[in-house]
Formats: sequence, C-alpha cells, structure tokens
Amino acid sequence: MTRITTAMNTAEVLKTLRRADGYYITNTTRDMSQSDYKNRILLHTDLLAAPAREAAGYFSLEITGGASVHVDILRKQVDPFLKLQLLREKMPNTLFQTLCRGVNLFGYRPYPQNVIRLTVREFAKYVDVWRTFDFMNHVPNMTAVFEEVAKADRINEPCICFSTGPEHTNAFYVGKVREIIAVTGEEIILCIKNHGGLGTPKRIGDLVDAIKQAFPDLVVHYHGHNTDGNDIGRVTAAVLNGAAIVDASDHAFTGFYGPPPSLTVIQTLKDYDRAAIGINEEAIIETSDVMRDQRPYYAAFESQIKGFMPTVQIHKLPGGAMGSSLEQADKGGFLKQMPDILHKELPKVQAELGNWWSVTPGSQILWTTAVSNVVDGERYGNPSGDLKNLLLGKYGPFPFYQPADWIYEKVFGEDWKELLAREGGLDRVEDMDIEKERATLQELIGQDPTEQQLVTYLQHPNDAVEFFKFEAKFGRSYVLPPAIFLRQGGFALGEILKFRDHSGKEHLVEVGPSQTDKKGEKNIFMNVDHNQRLFVFEPEVQAGNAAVAKLSKEEISVLALSGDIRAPFKGNICEISVKEGQKIEKGDRIAILEAMKMQTPLISEVNGTVAAVFGKVGQALQPGDKIVKIGPAA
Amino acid sequence: MSTKILVANRGEIAIRIIRAIQELNYEAVAIYESPDHESRHIRIANEAVWIGDGPCKDYLSIEKVIRAAKRSGAIAIHPGYGFLAENPLLAKACEDAGLIFIGPNSDVIAKLGNKVTARKIMAEAGIPMVPGTENLSAGDEGLREAAAFARQYGYPLMLKATAGGGGRGIRRINNEKELQEQYQIARKEALAAFNDDSVYLEKLVVNPKHVEVQIIADNNGKTVHLGTRDCSIQRRNQKLVEIAPAFHLSPQLEEEICQTAVKAAKAANYTNAGTVEFLLDSSQNYYFMEINTRLQVEHTVTEMIAGIDIVRTQIKVALGRELLFGQKDISLRGHAIEMRINAEDPKNNFMPEGGKTISVYQSPGGYGVRLDGFCYQGFTIPEEYDSLLVKLTVFGWTWNETVDRLRRCLTNFVITGPKTTIPFYMNLVKDKDFQNGNFDTSYLDTHQHLFEYEEYTSEVNKLARLIAEIHHKGRNTYAS
Repeated sequence: MTRITTAMNTAEVLKTLRRADGYYITNTTRDMSQSDYKNRILLHTDLLAAPAREAAGYFSLEITGGASVHVDILRKQVDPFLKLQLLREKMPNTLFQTLCRGVNLFGYRPYPQNVIRLTVREFAKYVDVWRTFDFMNHVPNMTAVFEEVAKADRINEPCICFSTGPEHTNAFYVGKVREIIAVTGEEIILCIKNHGGLGTPKRIGDLVDAIKQAFPDLVVHYHGHNTDGNDIGRVTAAVLNGAAIVDASDHAFTGFYGPPPSLTVIQTLKDYDRAAIGINEEAIIETSDVMRDQRPYYAAFESQIKGFMPTVQIHKLPGGAMGSSLEQADKGGFLKQMPDILHKELPKVQAELGNWWSVTPGSQILWTTAVSNVVDGERYGNPSGDLKNLLLGKYGPFPFYQPADWIYEKVFGEDWKELLAREGGLDRVEDMDIEKERATLQELIGQDPTEQQLVTYLQHPNDAVEFFKFEAKFGRSYVLPPAIFLRQGGFALGEILKFRDHSGKEHLVEVGPSQTDKKGEKNIFMNVDHNQRLFVFEPEVQAGNAAVAKLSKEEISVLALSGDIRAPFKGNICEISVKEGQKIEKGDRIAILEAMKMQTPLISEVNGTVAAVFGKVGQALQPGDKIVKIGPAA
Repeated sequence: MSTKILVANRGEIAIRIIRAIQELNYEAVAIYESPDHESRHIRIANEAVWIGDGPCKDYLSIEKVIRAAKRSGAIAIHPGYGFLAENPLLAKACEDAGLIFIGPNSDVIAKLGNKVTARKIMAEAGIPMVPGTENLSAGDEGLREAAAFARQYGYPLMLKATAGGGGRGIRRINNEKELQEQYQIARKEALAAFNDDSVYLEKLVVNPKHVEVQIIADNNGKTVHLGTRDCSIQRRNQKLVEIAPAFHLSPQLEEEICQTAVKAAKAANYTNAGTVEFLLDSSQNYYFMEINTRLQVEHTVTEMIAGIDIVRTQIKVALGRELLFGQKDISLRGHAIEMRINAEDPKNNFMPEGGKTISVYQSPGGYGVRLDGFCYQGFTIPEEYDSLLVKLTVFGWTWNETVDRLRRCLTNFVITGPKTTIPFYMNLVKDKDFQNGNFDTSYLDTHQHLFEYEEYTSEVNKLARLIAEIHHKGRNTYAS
C-alpha cells in the first residue's frame, strides 16, 4: 500500500501502480475549476488547500493545463509557472499533473514543433504527469509532446478520448491504444478521457475490461465528468474492471459538470473491498473544511443553470465547455434557444461532421457551428475559419467518415473539390524563429524576458503581454483572496482588507470614502498601511457609440462591398493583415477576428488601396466597429 | 532675555540654520510669506514673523527682513543661500541697523559678487584664471571687443552676466554668428534678471569638473579650508549631486587647490564661511571661477568629512569669536555624497512638481545618513519656490561603502504624491561611471539612459491600486 511521491522516478511510479492492490486518486482541481467555475478558482484558494491536499495522499494533483494556462494570465492574473512553484513549496510530495492538447498545447490551434518542444521542456520542470490528448485521437498530433516528456523523465499519460455512438466500439478503442503504444511503448499511463461523462457505468466497465484484456500490464487511468450525476457509477465500474487511477476532487467545491467528490468514490469502493491507496480520508475532509467558506466568493462563476444535465448523453458537450457555453448563451441572449441548440442541432451537427470527439478544440467547432446554425437561421451559412480548417483536414483525418459533400459545397462553394485537393490535409506548421519572438517580447515589455515569460508569450502573445503589463502595474495579485479579487459591488466604507504580499509582508488596506469631483473624476481614499492614499479614476466614457444606431448584419455586409470593413460580430482583433497604402485585391485577407476562441478571417470584397486602419491588434470590437477602410486603387 | 537670531530664509536651509541656533542655546526667529504658512521651518523655530503675501518678493525685501529682525529683538541675521544671501545691500542694511550679518561684510560681498571686480582681485593675487574680458562696453563697441577676444582665444566661449550667479545668466557661444545673435539678447536678459546689463566673455573650458573649496575665516585673519567638493553632476548648470572630497585628485593637486583657495580668500579679506569655485580641465589645470559669499547647499558633505559644524562656526565667527581650530587641527576623513531630492520630473526636463501633496513620506536613517529637509506627510509643496524637498547626505569610510549606503537609502526612501528625483538617482547610483567616479559636467548629457526608469511603486500600493479599481468599478474587470 504505497503512496506515490515525487521521490520516485517514472519506472518506480509505474512499477508501484502495476503492483497496486487497490486504486489511486487524482485530484482534478483544474478540471473542477474549468468545468464548474469558468476556470476562476484562484491560486489563493489552491494555496489555502495545499497542506491538506498534500496530506491527502493523491496520486497527483491536476493543477495546470487545459484552458487554465490561458485563464491564469487572462482572468486570474497569475503567472502559470509561479503558480506551480508556489504550490510545489507547499506540496513537495504530490505529483503535479497537466492536461495537454497535443499539437494544440494549451490553446486552440496547432503550434509549431519547436514551440511545442520548448513549452513542454519548460513546464516539465514542474509537471510530473502529462495527460495528452487529441480531439481526433490522431496519434501523430501527440508525438512531439510524448517525446519531450520522455526526455524529461516525466510520466506520459496519453489519452484515448471517449465518446458514444455506433462507431465507438471496444475494438476501435483497443486499436487506438495499440496505435499509441506503438509510439510510446507500455511505460505509460493510458487515460480514458471521458470529458463529457458519456456512457453508462456498464459501458465504461466494458471498455476498461477490453483494454485490460488486450494489455494486461497497461496502467489505466479513468477520467470522467459528473455532468449526468452518474460518474461515481462509471468510476466504480472502471476500478472494478482494472483501472488503477481515477479522477475526483474536493466535495466542498464539486459542482455539476466537473469531477465527482473523492470521498464518495472512496466510500463507494470500500464496499467493494477496493482500497484507495495512500489516501488519508481525514485530510480529504479537512481540505474541504478549509476551502468551504471560499466558495461563496466564486458564486458569480458557477453555472447559470443549476442541476445535473443527463442530456449530456445527447449533446455530448464536455464538462469543461459547459460553463463557458452557458455563459455565452447568457451574454449572447440566446439562453432560451439552448434546448434547440443542445438537444437538436448539436447532435445533428456532430453526426454530420463525423461523430468524432467533442473536446477542445473540436467541441468549440461543434458548438460554434450549432449556435451559428440556429441563431443565424442558415445552417453552415456562416462557417468559422476553424470549421473550414476542420473540413480541410488541417486538424487530422476524420476517424470514421468524412462529412457529406453538401456541407463542403455550402462552406466552400461549388469548387470545393479542387480546393480540398489543393489545400486539404494536415498543415505542416513551420517552426517559429524563437529568438526573433524573444526580441519582440523584449521590446514589448522593455526588459529581457525570462524563459518562462517567453513560453507564456508563445502560447498567447497578446494576452501574455497584457498580463506582464498588469503585473508591472498591479504587482503579484495572486496574494489577494477571492473575497477581494473577485468582489462584486465594491467594498464597504471602513472595511479592512488584510493580505500578505509576495515577499511575505502583511498589509492592511482600509477602504475610505469616495467622491466625484467637478471634472467627473472619482477620488477614492484608502488607508494603506496607515498612510492615506488617493486613487483617481477618469470618468467612465459613456459609450458614445451606443448612441449611434447599431448596424445590422446586412448593413455591415453592404458596407464591406464598398471597402468599409467593419466587425461583423463581437470579438477581438487578433491580426491586422494589411498596412495603410497597401494595394488590395478582392479576396485578400484584411484581418482576423476572434470570438468564442474561434478565429475568422475578414476578406476584402473589393480591389483598392488601404486608406485607413482603425483597428488595433487585441482590440475588442462591437459589431459594426470600423476595422479597415479600402479606397480606390491608387 | 535670550539671544535671538533671525533666519532670513525658508525651507530646508532655514531648518538647518535654526538647528544650529538652537544648539547654541539661542532662539531662532523664522520669517515666512503666505504660501509658506505650512512650512516646517516655522513650526520648529522659536518664533515666526509673517512678512507678507509673497511670493518671493517679501523674502527679497531687505526692508521687511530688517523690520522683522528689529521687531523680534534679534541681534543677528543669517541669510542662508539664495534670496538675499549674496546681496551686499542686506549686509549693508544690517551694518547700518546695528544687526550682525552672518557672513562676510557688505564690501567683500559687493566686490566678489561683481565677477569682473572679483577676477581683477584674483588676477592680482596670482590666482589662475580662465582667460576672459572685463565688462564689455555698451553697444557695438562691446561686440567689437568680444570679437577680438574670440579671435585670440577661439570658440567656444561663455557670455556671462556680471551680476549673475548660481548658474543663471550664462550662455554658450559656439561661433561668430552666435555671438552676433546672442550679445544684445544677453544684455537685455541680464538687465531684466539682475537689474544690471553688464556682461563679459570667458573662454569655455570644455566638459570641466566643478571643484570647489570650503573656506572659513574669522575676523582676526585666520583662514582655513575644509577641503574640496566635486559638484560636477549638474543639469542646466544647477547642481544635483555633490561629493566631498573631490574625486581623482592627486594629494599634491588637492593641496595646491586648497591653498590657492585660502590665498584667494585672503586676497579678498574674506571673513566667515565661503566657497571658492574652480574649473578643472582634463589636463588637471584649474581655473578660478568665483567665490560664493554664503553658505552653500552642499555644505553638508564637507561637514560629514570634516566633522565641523559650518553653520555653528559661522554664527560664532559672526558674533566675534575666534576660530577654535587651525588648519592642522582639521582632518578630512572618508567620503560623503549629497543628493538633492527635488519634487521634479527628471524625464520631463526636471519640470517642478509644485502644488502636489506629499501623501507618503518615509525616510531612511541609520549609520552615516543625514537628512536636511522640511517636508512631511500631508504637506502641499508650494508652487512659488524651488523644488528642493530634502538633501540626502551619506558618509562612508570608503567611496564604495558610501555609494552602497546611498543606494540603500534611496531604496528605502518613499515619497509619493509628487514625482521626485529619487528613481533617477537610483539609476545614477547603479551607473558604472558614477561608481567609478568618472563624471564631469557633461555627465548627464552623456548618460541619457539614466532617464529610463519606471516610477517606483511599492508592491502594496500596486495592489491597493487594484483594490481601488475593483471598488470603483464594482467588480474586477481583469477577472471577468
């Protein structure tokens, strides 16, 4: 009954797992945060829970990867590497685990090989277990990560993504496992990634059994979601059929779409005479006791819709995408159309596009397409750039069947066959000039970037720079508890806020009065460590644009025909492809707009010369906002 | 009734003088104009006399100063630096009113204050001089004299207002054309600024070091020096950083310069404290520049290495006492550096930051640290006066130790509200040339990277700013 710790090397860990008389638990707190709290659980809370989690004796703590690297810098304003360093100090023995999207790393589209390798090398300094998947289960998309993880003597945990439907047979998955092992060998942990919490306990039990029959020595790790409320059943079936590790998390924070509570898993399996190895139940209870009173501060990020969602078996959205999808529906004003989208359109789109696995970035493609099909009223009438890439096979070959010809025709027009022949297939993403990127970053932040800053920048360039600027301006804000960092509605007059800064110094901020002066500037007084401080805020710009009548979609398209390129939807500019004075031909790319993590190129409808560029990279646009004006050819 | 001395000044120097007066067990009388009503020099003085609404005109009014002294029963006036300090008419008015002027007599001030007269005295005493003209004649004749001088010594030249000083009324002339253009303008400016349109020309010593010698003399003809100072680090001819003793001088040269200074003071029948300024060129030639007939801002560095309270000595000498020490009794030890912490934005051409309120004032302390300042938390810096907030002077046994101490002090010096020269000085103390003592008057021009710094904000204030923003917007927009 051996606890697995960081003191063991990969071989020792795997040996221990194979000999295990019982099962191990991974605490998937990252997945819980992503699925049930829109990724917002702060490092502050994880640090609070760290000593008890360390004592709890998990196989690993899944604490990074997935969307969290991006959200760390975008919404939590924390350095993803610093996070791991600080947690490591408090959790010296527990393995840290990540979720890596293969060639897509922690993002949404393929990265160059040299960036993938550099990123894995840098994160592997802190991350012991690398759970890697590809949404098409296309093994070549994962090999670069496998190789770098092995080089770093870290543990490879390749995934087979799991779904349901006539194509998803045991034979298919066993074949996939064989494909993976052919690349990695058996010195791995094999993960069944049930990102939607699909299938019944029986189905999962059968699958684990089939894999174990084929590969008796293979260590199987079952990962599921509790979206339908039945993951305990699947976890139980997985363990009874030979899974060595299962995923669960802390009951004080479990919600509807993420992992089930680990204590329930332990209690259930105990009755089957299966012991959770290395686990200290009291420490698990203590973890939740420590965390519980933090949960209310995250209320704003919990699901808009409460309750389990057994209909996941129909729409198959992964737990990690539930929160953000519902948020988009809420913000986009189409919450009422959700039943149509989730239960009718989404399954239809899934089947039409090949019934592969609804997980990032495939789940976003399915979701965006389904939403667009319903909200815009014309099916496949407004295809995203990523859907086009998918159809062209840029992400990998379709595992079961290619979508029907009419979809290709709808998306690419009559000449789709030529286009597919010409441009189809996996893109070889050219290596990046990393030294050039380093120099660019150096210029952007005004100092030599660290290797970690460079890696963060290579993942999400614009957001990384914004984060570095945030840190320069506001310091290391991870020290603020959610009660401060996520406070809604401001603080009370006289409220005393205490925190300890990154250097370990205690501070006290007392909230003072606020007043608005004649210029409309808001003056906020605060006592900071007993010194009075005044913070001045410019008057809020009353959106002047709001007064301007909103342009309709049709009007925006008509303007585009005259060379006045405007944002067709709400999104951020991620590229301006032209310069003022540049000659433009019809069909040239003008800019790329990103919304809901999907990038869409804007194409010129006219020949001419760029007369003015209004947009800036990174800028958030409302529909109708000006981006580029194209004048007559010079 | 106790002895009272009036301090005819404001700000940090008024406080410096008040401290000396109070240490001598006398009472200090402060004067102030309305914009200075919250100044700390008033609060620590034993009594204070409001002399008018100002700004500056009342501090510059001899009549009001004399009246304040008479009314308060002061027996002596210390003029500090600036304002009336080098105006011979104040010294004269004191003499006429039976008050003791703490400084040289009015005749000496008048002679040394006139650069041409001063040069004449020094030339006669055999003091090495930068080649220069007498006062140029009025009109075109003056221009002809100037051109002749230029032909003899070559450009560049300095065109100086005879009545100027402290870096004001000086312009560089690079060629004949500039001479023609600038001559009349300079005269007009001199007239406007100093009420005297006399100007003269000097050969410009290119990128010299500014070396000066502190001297002090009693009324019995005993004259000693307290060593050298280097004031080369300047902006627009205004000193920013001062060092004692001057750097990279051979002991022989240092001794020679100091003896020359004593000789110059004696030639002028100088009494009380004064400063003899020299320019030192790259071939170690030194030239007499001027004698400042007052206490100088940077006297603190000399006090640190000499262990002599110059202001206390000034007062005692003025009251007729003999100097208790001779040249042999004076030993100069270690190094001292003074930095003028000004409410200015170095990045914006040292634009003054007057009108702003100091919200946090946390000063350093400890061994070898001296502060001469007058501001405090909550103090609003008057826009009407100069921007000096506090002088940070540090002492160390070796130069390196002194620079280390300076860096430590700057790191722990927190002034928020106005922008200050602190972050700029932080860069300066980290500069290799400064650390190695390689600087002359061109230092700032040739070290522009010193101006590249971020305004320092402490971690807690950064976080407090975020908290204020979360409060202001009702949510954390960086998290949503």
